[in-house]
Amino acid sequence: MSVATSPASKSTLFQELARIVGAEGVIEHRDELLVYECDGYVIEKSLPDVVVFPTTTEQVVAIVKLCGRLGVPFVPRGAGTSLAGGTLAVGGGVMICLTRMKRIVEINLADGYAIVEPGVVNVWLTRALAGSGFHYAPDPSSQTACTIGGNVGTNSGGPHTLKYGVTVNHVLGVELVLPDGSIVRTGGVTEDDPGYDLTGLIVGNEGTFGIVTRATVALTRDPEAGRTLLGVFADVESATETVSDIIAAGIVPAALEMLDQPMIQAIEQAFHLGFPVDAGALLLIEVDGLDVGLDNQAEAIAEITKKRGGSVQKAIAWRTRKEPEYVAVWKARKSAFGAIGRLSPTFCTQDGVVPRTKLPHILRVITQIGLKYDIKIANVFHAGDGNIHPILLFDERDEEQVKRVLKASHEILEECIAVGGSVTGEHGIGVEKMEFMPLLFSPADIAAMIAVRAVFNPEGRCSPSKMLPTGAGCVERKTPGRMASA
Amino acid sequence: MNWPENEAGGFLGRGRYALATDRPESVDALRGVVIERTARGEAIYPQGGRTALDYGGVPGLPGVAIDTRSLNRVIDYPAADMTVTLEAGMTLAELRRVLAERGQRLPLDAPEGDRATLGGIFATNASGPRRFGWGRPRDWIIGVGFVTAAGELVKGGGRVVKNVAGYDFPRLLTGSMGTLGIIVQLTLKTRPIAESTAIVWASFDRGDDAREALARLTTSATRPTAIELLNRPAATAIGEPSGLPAAEWTIAIGFEGARETVAWQTERLAKELNARDCRSLEADSAEALWSRLVEDSAAKRSDYEQVSIVVNARRSAVVGLALKLDSSVWGVQAHAGNGIIRAKTLRSEEPSAIEAAVSELRRAAVEAGGNLIVSGRPEGRYEGLPIWGEPRDDWAIARRIKEAFDPRGLMNPGRFVGGI
Ligand SMILES: Cc1cc2nc3c(=O)[nH]c(=O)nc-3n(C[C@H](O)[C@H](O)[C@@H](O)COP(=O)(O)OP(=O)(O)OC[C@H]3O[C@@H](n4cnc5c(N)ncnc54)[C@H](O)[C@@H]3O)c2cc1C
Ligand SMILES: Cc1cc2nc3c(=O)[nH]c(=O)nc-3n(C[C@H](O)[C@H](O)[C@H](O)COP(=O)(O)OP(=O)(O)OC[C@H]3O[C@@H](n4cnc5c(N)ncnc54)[C@H](O)[C@@H]3O)c2cc1C
Repeated sequence: MSVATSPASKSTLFQELARIVGAEGVIEHRDELLVYECDGYVIEKSLPDVVVFPTTTEQVVAIVKLCGRLGVPFVPRGAGTSLAGGTLAVGGGVMICLTRMKRIVEINLADGYAIVEPGVVNVWLTRALAGSGFHYAPDPSSQTACTIGGNVGTNSGGPHTLKYGVTVNHVLGVELVLPDGSIVRTGGVTEDDPGYDLTGLIVGNEGTFGIVTRATVALTRDPEAGRTLLGVFADVESATETVSDIIAAGIVPAALEMLDQPMIQAIEQAFHLGFPVDAGALLLIEVDGLDVGLDNQAEAIAEITKKRGGSVQKAIAWRTRKEPEYVAVWKARKSAFGAIGRLSPTFCTQDGVVPRTKLPHILRVITQIGLKYDIKIANVFHAGDGNIHPILLFDERDEEQVKRVLKASHEILEECIAVGGSVTGEHGIGVEKMEFMPLLFSPADIAAMIAVRAVFNPEGRCSPSKMLPTGAGCVERKTPGRMASA
Repeated sequence: MNWPENEAGGFLGRGRYALATDRPESVDALRGVVIERTARGEAIYPQGGRTALDYGGVPGLPGVAIDTRSLNRVIDYPAADMTVTLEAGMTLAELRRVLAERGQRLPLDAPEGDRATLGGIFATNASGPRRFGWGRPRDWIIGVGFVTAAGELVKGGGRVVKNVAGYDFPRLLTGSMGTLGIIVQLTLKTRPIAESTAIVWASFDRGDDAREALARLTTSATRPTAIELLNRPAATAIGEPSGLPAAEWTIAIGFEGARETVAWQTERLAKELNARDCRSLEADSAEALWSRLVEDSAAKRSDYEQVSIVVNARRSAVVGLALKLDSSVWGVQAHAGNGIIRAKTLRSEEPSAIEAAVSELRRAAVEAGGNLIVSGRPEGRYEGLPIWGEPRDDWAIARRIKEAFDPRGLMNPGRFVGGI
């Protein structure tokens, strides 16, 4: 891949891009570019040669055609909250930042869909729908910052995916600009268009197929009401057994989130919600639906909690999700990473998945790994999905500690694979976890994925060196990923 | 290579016969068969329960049928994880039995569940009334294993409910009509069996009344899991065995869930709907009606030249489109909450009249953001009706994906969109 690094070609690139989007839509000064050298995964850095901010699909087409003509790689970026280095401009080139394509094009309640441009921030759509009785279901914890284009890129989840599914279950169609500048429209405002489920294939492609310039998403009815229970447990084991028992009882909660003791302490210090700081684990259990059925479910859950030796500290009955107590609890959950910042100068989080029933096992293993490497690990995760987010706390100035963190992270993810799980439930492979792909997939699987990528992106000019291992040696990693911000 | 002239080697569908039918008993054996057959240039036609072999285009190249029904084991069923991994030749009825033992189910509908296989259901992304509340096969699949034309076993997804590692092959294969590979293994999500089921049967004299009721249902206080619109002949066929009336238009609304929520909803809905007649069936009688709602749309008649179609459109356009179909000629059942209309002719009719009606409906469906496929027709007739509807932009990409998996075009050739 030739890269436009020579000063002469760089200035051509800048001028030509400015001709397409106007000079105010291109960044090329080094100090301005620094913001774009990485995303939420800050460990690997690479400066793009330029960052360009198109405002229309036509501009995106012109940009990728220009990149083709000049033989320059490009990478799409939304808000840059990726935790896997999905937006890293490997080898430089053009970063196409979609944040100025931010219109909600249409909201159609009668037909149950919305059409948005990729730079629309997830929560904007929720806000635009407030009071309508409908919402957009995928709600990643980063929803106040991340874009729907980025959500489509990574097939984002969130706390409510247990009942409502992930992004792919809610995307009806996309408009995609391919690296050769052609525009593909898949799906649409109706279901069951004849043909392959290209929309399903495109969601979660991590920016390796092209640039998503529009998405049609399904809208979901708001639940009439809900009950959110805060279960307190002496230890993580009894909390995870409770999760399994709830599911076994035939209850499918809307959310089942768990915090362990270090996490509870961090959140309590940050938010003063009256969380019991000596508790071993806390479960946030939410059921929603028709009011008439909820008390029975809440009682059954309280019963199970008690049987497992826990107690119900709070039981919030809500209707609008605006009740102050409800807002406070969820704000605490969704800001967990931020709260951790108070405990440790640096931390990194992993995104492993295990079968739900293996949760007690993986948490035991995580504790052992923490002891073995003398690393403090806090846990906050989507327990109902078996999607763990162990947060490893460390001091990045201590090189030796950093090495231990890397080893510990690796061991945790290997154990996830060993028990039949995955190394990423929602953050993606990006550049961070490419080395795990051969552990999850056979050479035939990976060859098929490479062939599919080549259908969309034959020259590999879009998002080079992402997601699929290339065979070339990985960059040796010296420090683990750390949250840029929360 | 010539087409066989008789059925000795088995059926392929659409009046074509197979050179032979292979019945591999393991994935490795199946791979071996594929390698051996394709080496000779023979096409591969995967088969499950053979309930839908006439669905799709005419088989394009002489080849063999591969009967997947011997691949029918449960590989892993960790019920507490609410997932199940199975071989794709298992029938829906058998899976239901296995899941029911642990109080669970796969909330998908497919006709002839005692014959239809999970492989066939996922290959066709088949759906029925429950899709309103529960979605389609694409919403329940988390892992897939399939054998390509090169005889290679390829997997995608995994066995955990949340997983974004690698491209989404489970969804790519769902609805691919056997044209990318033979599905041999599936990992699916499961759900607890609903405690209670009910169906409200509401009658309307005019299309406008039905339209208004459907619009009201999108903001009803109740949360149905099925919303079906039936014209008079369909309501007669489906409702009569339950002693239900057949009005000009009927809306059947299904509820599933805890006993108290289902009871509350059936009562509440009766008040919300401005129906001329409204009654509800519960428990066993609801189940019986539900299964007729699933079976009837696929029930085929061979005593006359039956034509059947499936329309997809915006849901607000459903009544308008359904009204275009003369109820003395067409039985109409719509998954109205999802914008899907299934219709079939009730008697022999002048082909030119049918062709005109279908073409007109297709234009209207395309205008309403959708399309129209011809799911059944007598052989040798209606050549002018495109089976897969109006060509779409994205078929060009679909063709390239097909070439990536099957460069020689040997998997179910001729059967899918754009001649894939
Ligand atoms: C006449 C008729 C019309 C129908 N129309 C529709 C419709 O319009 N929409 C809808 O959603 N459902 C429709 N269905 C329902 C649905 O397509 C089938 O019932 C489905 O469940 C087929 O299962 P089967 O095992 O019988 O598949 P089969 O009839 O054996 O095969 C159906 C198709 O799937 C492919 N296939 C089967 N098994 C595999 C496998 N393991 N791997 C890869 N490919 C495989 C076959 O090659 C064939 O193309 C229809 C059914 C019938 C009988
Ligand atoms: C505090 C915090 C909490 C988080 N919580 C969650 C959570 O609960 N659930 C979850 O799933 N994730 C979570 N994340 C991860 C992240 O927010 C998601 O992956 C999100 O979808 C990324 O959106 P973005 O707009 O920031 O995209 P970016 O980070 O800019 O990009 C993400 C990927 O998508 C590609 N991409 C972006 N836009 C486009 C486009 N228009 N066309 C094509 N490709 C594109 C990029 O190339 C990249 O590969 C969290 C992150 C943080 C920092």
